[in-house]
Amino acid sequence: MRTRIPQIVALGGGGFSMEKDGSLLDDYVLSLVSSRRPRICFLPTASGDADHYVVRFYRRFSTYCEASHISLFRRDQGGAGVEEDLASHLLSQDVIYVGGGNVVSMLGVWRAHGLDDILRRAWREGIVLCGPSAGSLCWFEEALSAFHGPPRRVRGLGLLPYSNCVHYDAEPARRAEYHSLVGEGMRRGFAVDDGVALHFHDTQLARVVSSRADGRAYQVEQVGGEVFEAALEVSCLRTGSPAPVAIGRAVAAA
Amino acid sequence: MEPANPLLDDYVLTLAQAKEPRILFLPTASGDTTTQINAFYARFGGRSCVARYASLFRLGDLECSLAELVLAQDIVYVGGGSMRNLLAIWRAHHLNGLLIEAWRRGTVLAGISAGAMCWFEGGVTCSSGAPEPMAGLGLLEGSLTVHADGEPERLPVWLSSVRAGTLPGGWAADDGVGLLFRGQQLERVVSSRPGAGAQRVDAIAGELVRHRVEPELLGGEQPTRAPVLDDDVRELRRVHRLRREMTGKTHRFNDM
Repeated sequence: MRTRIPQIVALGGGGFSMEKDGSLLDDYVLSLVSSRRPRICFLPTASGDADHYVVRFYRRFSTYCEASHISLFRRDQGGAGVEEDLASHLLSQDVIYVGGGNVVSMLGVWRAHGLDDILRRAWREGIVLCGPSAGSLCWFEEALSAFHGPPRRVRGLGLLPYSNCVHYDAEPARRAEYHSLVGEGMRRGFAVDDGVALHFHDTQLARVVSSRADGRAYQVEQVGGEVFEAALEVSCLRTGSPAPVAIGRAVAAA
Repeated sequence: MEPANPLLDDYVLTLAQAKEPRILFLPTASGDTTTQINAFYARFGGRSCVARYASLFRLGDLECSLAELVLAQDIVYVGGGSMRNLLAIWRAHHLNGLLIEAWRRGTVLAGISAGAMCWFEGGVTCSSGAPEPMAGLGLLEGSLTVHADGEPERLPVWLSSVRAGTLPGGWAADDGVGLLFRGQQLERVVSSRPGAGAQRVDAIAGELVRHRVEPELLGGEQPTRAPVLDDDVRELRRVHRLRREMTGKTHRFNDM
């Protein structure tokens, strides 16, 4: 019997919701599952379940996947996507794709509906968890949410024992904010540009992939009172390398 | 915010001391939908007030802190939607404490549906599908159930919860009915629609004691046509249905 290892693909930004030709990171995620027609469920909670976001998700995935979504704002109406039990639906997926938006609001709503426990279980069972921005921050122990006013230290679901900062290149203030938080004792972690994704096997960073030639990701940590930033090796998916597919097979066989 | 009937909203404006009250709309329970925000501006934009909204999904739009914004208001108006999500998001952003503080300072707190029940000890929500009792902020004693006429499946759940003691006794309000509390005392019951009513229900020795409360019809001598009621309800349900048929607008979510 094949057992699946926990996997998370945390996008610093990008994928179908942000990149015009944003298929590379999404394709990379799909390459990690072995089924021919993957079951993929979208959680647009961080956007307030914005309709246009849901539509774009289906546009992107419904041709190749069994696509569904869960709206936690409209569970009383037919348009909620999934009417059955949330846990059994989510635990039958190959991929759970979390959309961007406000991570604080999203985590609050998730906890109110018991999704934090369900997602933890999904991860342990080897369902691939992924998403950009808020859909990245949420998996970490701590995150920098610079959504409003002063940057805020946010506690995530804690599946990954690190901190996370997204849109590292797109929003110039983020570097200083993140360094200062790590300097103040935030746990060490990863800063990620738009278009770049961290791929974790269990809690170990297995690979960093990018849809852009110049996409970067960094490990940021404090040593002896000083904050250090080290660039990580990034595989560009644009070079035509077959690597993502190969990795997908390796993982599926693991 | 009844589409064709401004009576309750005008009434809310009269409760503030200021001539041009600052009124803040919180569409949180809907997920900050554009539909709700537009409806708010359509109603209050042309009136004698300073109207704005705050999105807890797009806080980046604010130029000051949430605390400064909330505490500067004369009126905070809360939209309907998911009561469970509303309270969870407020808690996550520490807004519940701010609203209680605003209330103590004399800010008028108003709201519809989830935005009405949230102030009480409890209400009946359909946030997870079927109606179920749920705790609110508890500024007001007792419980409230809404849409007693418009969404009749809520009322029996509320009544049985009150009988069982899961919810304290309280009020059931029809669509178009407003309860005004000064401090924790019910001072007035008003209505924008003829025929709409409210009831006070308590469980006494396991039995429900129900009193009908006859609201004062707003709008003075101006008769509100009774059919407006049904049209409004139908319109609201239609908008809900339309929202489900999603449109294909594109939007970029780049903030987290």
